[in-house]
Amino acid sequence: METINFIDLTWTSTLILFLVGFVGGMVSGFIGSGGAFVLTPAMMSMGVPGVVAVASNMAHKFPKALVGAHKRHKYGQVDIKLGIVMGIFAEAGVLFGKHVMVDIREAFGAAGTNLYVSAVFVVVLGIVGGFVLRDALRERRGEAAKTSQTKELTPLVRWVRSIEIPGTMLYFKSMDARVSFLILAPLGFATGLLAATIAVGGFIGVPAMMYILGLPALTASATELVIAFVMGLGGSLFYALDGFVDIRLSMIILAGSLFGIQIGAIGTTYVKDYVVKFVMAAIMLLVLVSRFFYIPGYLSELGAIETLEPGTRGWLDGIGEGALVFALLFGALMILQALYKGMQEHRLAVAAAAPALGPTPVTEGVGAQLSPVGRFERFLVASDGSEFSGAAVREAIGMATKCGAQVHVMSLVAPGVEHEALGESILKQELEMAQSHLDGIKAQADAAGVACETHLVQGNQIHEEIVDLADRVKADVIIMGRRGRRGLARLMLGHATAQVIGQAHCNVLVVPRAAQVEGRHIVLATDGSRFADTAAVTAGALARVCKTPVTVVSVTTDEQSQEVRVETARTVDRVVALMRSDGTTVEGKVLHGEPASAITGVAQESQADLIVTGSHGRTGLERVLIGSTSERILNDTQCAVLVVKAA
Amino acid sequence: MSASSSAGRSSRALVITLVLGAASASLYVLLFFFSDRLTELARLTREGDKLYALVPLAVAVVFSFIHGAFTGHFWDLLGLRAKK
Repeated sequence: METINFIDLTWTSTLILFLVGFVGGMVSGFIGSGGAFVLTPAMMSMGVPGVVAVASNMAHKFPKALVGAHKRHKYGQVDIKLGIVMGIFAEAGVLFGKHVMVDIREAFGAAGTNLYVSAVFVVVLGIVGGFVLRDALRERRGEAAKTSQTKELTPLVRWVRSIEIPGTMLYFKSMDARVSFLILAPLGFATGLLAATIAVGGFIGVPAMMYILGLPALTASATELVIAFVMGLGGSLFYALDGFVDIRLSMIILAGSLFGIQIGAIGTTYVKDYVVKFVMAAIMLLVLVSRFFYIPGYLSELGAIETLEPGTRGWLDGIGEGALVFALLFGALMILQALYKGMQEHRLAVAAAAPALGPTPVTEGVGAQLSPVGRFERFLVASDGSEFSGAAVREAIGMATKCGAQVHVMSLVAPGVEHEALGESILKQELEMAQSHLDGIKAQADAAGVACETHLVQGNQIHEEIVDLADRVKADVIIMGRRGRRGLARLMLGHATAQVIGQAHCNVLVVPRAAQVEGRHIVLATDGSRFADTAAVTAGALARVCKTPVTVVSVTTDEQSQEVRVETARTVDRVVALMRSDGTTVEGKVLHGEPASAITGVAQESQADLIVTGSHGRTGLERVLIGSTSERILNDTQCAVLVVKAA
Repeated sequence: MSASSSAGRSSRALVITLVLGAASASLYVLLFFFSDRLTELARLTREGDKLYALVPLAVAVVFSFIHGAFTGHFWDLLGLRAKK
């Protein structure tokens, strides 16, 4: 077997690899497809053997796919079961593809694998590039393919789902249908085989899931990440075991590509779909031309054709190299130009629209309250479209109807590295989906007669974006959902919710899925601190407005001294007297035991629909910020909890 | 948004980006420093020491997470955002 020689790393080759990675990343972020179809040929043009180029490209893709799959899973876009089943068959495809590659290498040497990889590139890019170009031309003429947009299943999908092979049927949530794994086997296998051959499996996986299994584009793209991770990890390991992974090249390419991906992905949001497809088709066809001109050289090395004159070989390779460089530069220029032009237009449009937008009006109702502590004029509700945030949206609109408050609804889209590994422009789809979700909430609010503004926010730190927007819209209360009730405390409350409570400058209402705030009964938890006093003022204001009875609860513990216990009882009496003077029906309770369970117990007994509690300062760890008792209450109770921030 | 909270947020974002950038740069310095050793490990894997195959995989995971987090924060800091 011919020995494998990794290329020498010089400053020039490092810089070229970085730039190739950057442009490749930008292109792949823009066209939403694995960048390996640019990166693998580029590495081969630099003298890297085909098998090493494929292996090294696989090695930097699987961790990105893992990050992406994890994030998409949190948004509920991934069908893990389908991803794993397809991934296992893809793994078999990878193993088979890798054996083919190694066998060719052993039989024909590096020229054999180079020829094999190049020939597969020419065929695959010819087919895929041709389809993409046809789609782009159709869309430009206004004949966009509607199949992926409509919910109606195509005859092929209906047929695939109607096949019943006893003992092989598996149910998939994303399709809400049972499909035989014997149907999935060839799809997964082909995806893996292509990935092991040219390091791009998404060309088969994503279209197969969309057009054969009938998955929505976003779910198909997100599920592809699970497949990409499973087969990428396995493929990288198989290749690494044979010493084919040049991790130095992988990591330099990765350095550049991670910078480029986000530019490309964001660029898609500024241009029309057909422009993205034109660029994609142009690059694919240019890479095809590039690989095509290398083929005579490889055939000559193998002796399949007459030996080429050095001049002729140099001339052909030069055209191949030139076409590739042109493809990369063309892609980069098109994307940067589209991004620049789009951003300029967007800026002008925003500037033109600005004078039309007046200051946020203060609505009537409870309004015109001077104290920020008990003011309920503007709500900010964070919604991710899940059932958990659905309760928050429902209560926000319900409470706004009663209080005459204005509701701001926000949804967050977090751009990330996974945009490289997808078959469709996921960022654009995701923005459209989030906007349509916000539009749905706005329609609900409009129907209820509530003033509503929507905010589509982009960022990586959810809690920071929520707190930031709450400050900008001068929200009085942030309303958020809460995840399930079992498990570790931090997980139950939800990391983002805990951080928002810790860092917000206004009050935060946490609404569990089943909770309904109807103004039945309020439980005020107090420990006599100044934070609890602020909570008492807020609870008092709410009780007055909603004419709701209140139970003031304080809990003493074994560790506390007698003086503290006496002081606790006095605190409760003081708060009760204050509320009673405002005409509120109120009773006080001093209990002994574990504070959180005692408070949630009172809430349950009195059938309270709201617990009001104070919160500590604004810096440090969120557990300290919220206070351990408040956090336990938030986790344990089934009713809504209003965490009042100290003024 | 109050000016102080905005400034605080920006400086926090800057610090996170700089820390991740420094971590990422350190990883790449190490990569170049041990460049020959990595090539040697690939050769040893080919010759039968299969356990060394795990090295490139571990490197890929660590670099992806650190450098990926850095580039994400980098563009966010520069204000490169998608059109809504």
